Amino acid sequence: MNARASVRTAITGVGWAVAGPDFDPATALAGKGMRHKDRASRFAVRVAQRTLEDAGLLDVPELEGAAVVVSSNFGNLDPVCDSITTIATGRSADISPMRLPQLSSAVSAAWVALNHGIRGPNLTLSNGTSSGLDAVAAARNLIAVGRATAALVIGVEPDSPSVARLHRETAGARWIDGAVGLVLEPVQQAADRGARIRAEITGYGKADDGPSAVRAAGGPAAPRRLGDEATERYGRCSGALGVVQCALAVERMEDEPVLAVAGAGTGESDGTSVSALVLAPPLGRDT
Amino acid sequence: MSWEITGMSAVCALGDTVADIHGALSAGESGLAPVSTFDASKYRGGVAYEVPDRTRPGVDEPLRATRWLVHVVREALADAGLPEPEPGTPVFVGTTHREMRTAELWWQHDAPLSPADLHFTSALRSAFGLHNVQTVASACAASLYGLGMGTDLMALGEADTVVVAGTDSITESSFGGFDRIQSPPPDTIRAFDRSRRGMIMGEGAVAVVLRRAGTHPGRVHGRVRGVSMNCDASHPTAPDSAGVVRAITDAHERAAIAPDDIDLVVVHGSGTPQSDLAETVALREVFKAAEPGPLVTAIKGGMGHISGGAGLMNLVVALEAIRTRSLPPVSDLTDPIEEASELRVVSGEPATGRFATAQVHAVGMGGINAVAIAEGAAR
Repeated sequence: MNARASVRTAITGVGWAVAGPDFDPATALAGKGMRHKDRASRFAVRVAQRTLEDAGLLDVPELEGAAVVVSSNFGNLDPVCDSITTIATGRSADISPMRLPQLSSAVSAAWVALNHGIRGPNLTLSNGTSSGLDAVAAARNLIAVGRATAALVIGVEPDSPSVARLHRETAGARWIDGAVGLVLEPVQQAADRGARIRAEITGYGKADDGPSAVRAAGGPAAPRRLGDEATERYGRCSGALGVVQCALAVERMEDEPVLAVAGAGTGESDGTSVSALVLAPPLGRDT
Repeated sequence: MSWEITGMSAVCALGDTVADIHGALSAGESGLAPVSTFDASKYRGGVAYEVPDRTRPGVDEPLRATRWLVHVVREALADAGLPEPEPGTPVFVGTTHREMRTAELWWQHDAPLSPADLHFTSALRSAFGLHNVQTVASACAASLYGLGMGTDLMALGEADTVVVAGTDSITESSFGGFDRIQSPPPDTIRAFDRSRRGMIMGEGAVAVVLRRAGTHPGRVHGRVRGVSMNCDASHPTAPDSAGVVRAITDAHERAAIAPDDIDLVVVHGSGTPQSDLAETVALREVFKAAEPGPLVTAIKGGMGHISGGAGLMNLVVALEAIRTRSLPPVSDLTDPIEEASELRVVSGEPATGRFATAQVHAVGMGGINAVAIAEGAAR
């Protein structure tokens, strides 16, 4: 038996921090510790708290061995563009020192790790529209090979002047402003600690085209395919897309497996690659 | 378990082959020069380690990081005897800035930008048909994170061959951001020296082809024995020696080796006061019982900090040092810090010897660390 088959992975927590009727960024992203953070990191920090809480893992010592996996394509675009404007209209001395960490694509993942003492792998993926599903799969791998006891996966895309300009120039009319989180952990561990197992990840594939990705994920066996609900609800989700899809699928999980596809052939694509992921209802304990 | 490195390639300010870069480092050459496309009057320090490849001097171009990536991946695949790889071969691209330099040009209305330009799937798909691409943006530990993820896929039985790369071009935002916080600005990178004043940006790309041991009949450059990746989770910007110690110890465990087995260490060595100190303290802790302990060097004084590819560049230079039996010295090191006095830091001339096993570091902003252990081709 290979390592993959020996570690079944469960989703045990879901969290939302997306601008909308239930979440007003003006108030929800303010407060202690937020002042010097970029918008993506503020969303990520908020959703990390909510997701860990949902999984019953907030402030537990076991988190030290966990991983943080963030998916984002535009997270640091605004700090970069804003700094360029600062330099163009003045000089480097006009840049706030607080800006420097924000220029890194990895800044949101680092803040989340720091806030919760998560000392395992700290991964940021920026793979385009497939990135969110790829992040869930990467988290599953980190658990399967024993690098992480659990993983907090966050998809985050902040709205900002530069993000808005890029979407508008590429025929985008609506786009997400927020973050969504998932907690992944081994099924056995979740069962042992009495956690509520919301779903199991049973397959993943990445390919040049939709049908091949679905095949690689073992998808045809899943009777229900998640449609374009994520994009219909929020507009373009970009790096958050796959995480939003998983969160929606988990919250509506019934007694059938669900297939999520991100990339070509869905409501949102950047024309590069397609990823597919299969989520199944809790399968019960190993016998 | 180990994974064979069957192809490698690199480009930076010092050259465009691994052998040339190693040779330049050994000769004490530096790629440092006045910045060529930014307005120097806006900065305190106006120097960087640029790849001199622009068509028109002084005029910037979009997608340079992508161009170098395609170049090094092509060279590494050819070196590995795999010019036409299987389309599903996993590729991990470690990058700090992705194509943010292109985004900056776009923001200033000097270049177009599409969302797909910000990651590397489309370029590698066009050039080689490779679609299974992961753009790993874990700060300056990114390419060693990619190396760890690639070896994990092979350990899981999901791939026999993976490509791991790193690429970055200098962004004006980060160049300006570091210029803002480093005052007076560093004149060069002086790792481990009392007079060190900080980091200077470099740029370039590096790629390796990895194969599961025993699947490749031809020549190999060396073997990856183990890769660790972790996070300090202790400070937003300053590295923590405890996190670096954990990364080194974890890498040793994964490689199933003891500190005494390490012949040489290529540290991150960015030349900032805190980062060099954290690495030095970590090395003293890990190797306190090793006698005589490994040789220690750093290569950023020659090529600058090439960001996402830095860790993997350390690895290919280490393998070349093992092959040539010549380990380049730390440049501009004349007055080592007290904490480094018990370490065998190489300065002045290259250190020569029959080396077998190397340890390489990447210490990224945000406390993101990775350490790789590799051995040379001849056991």
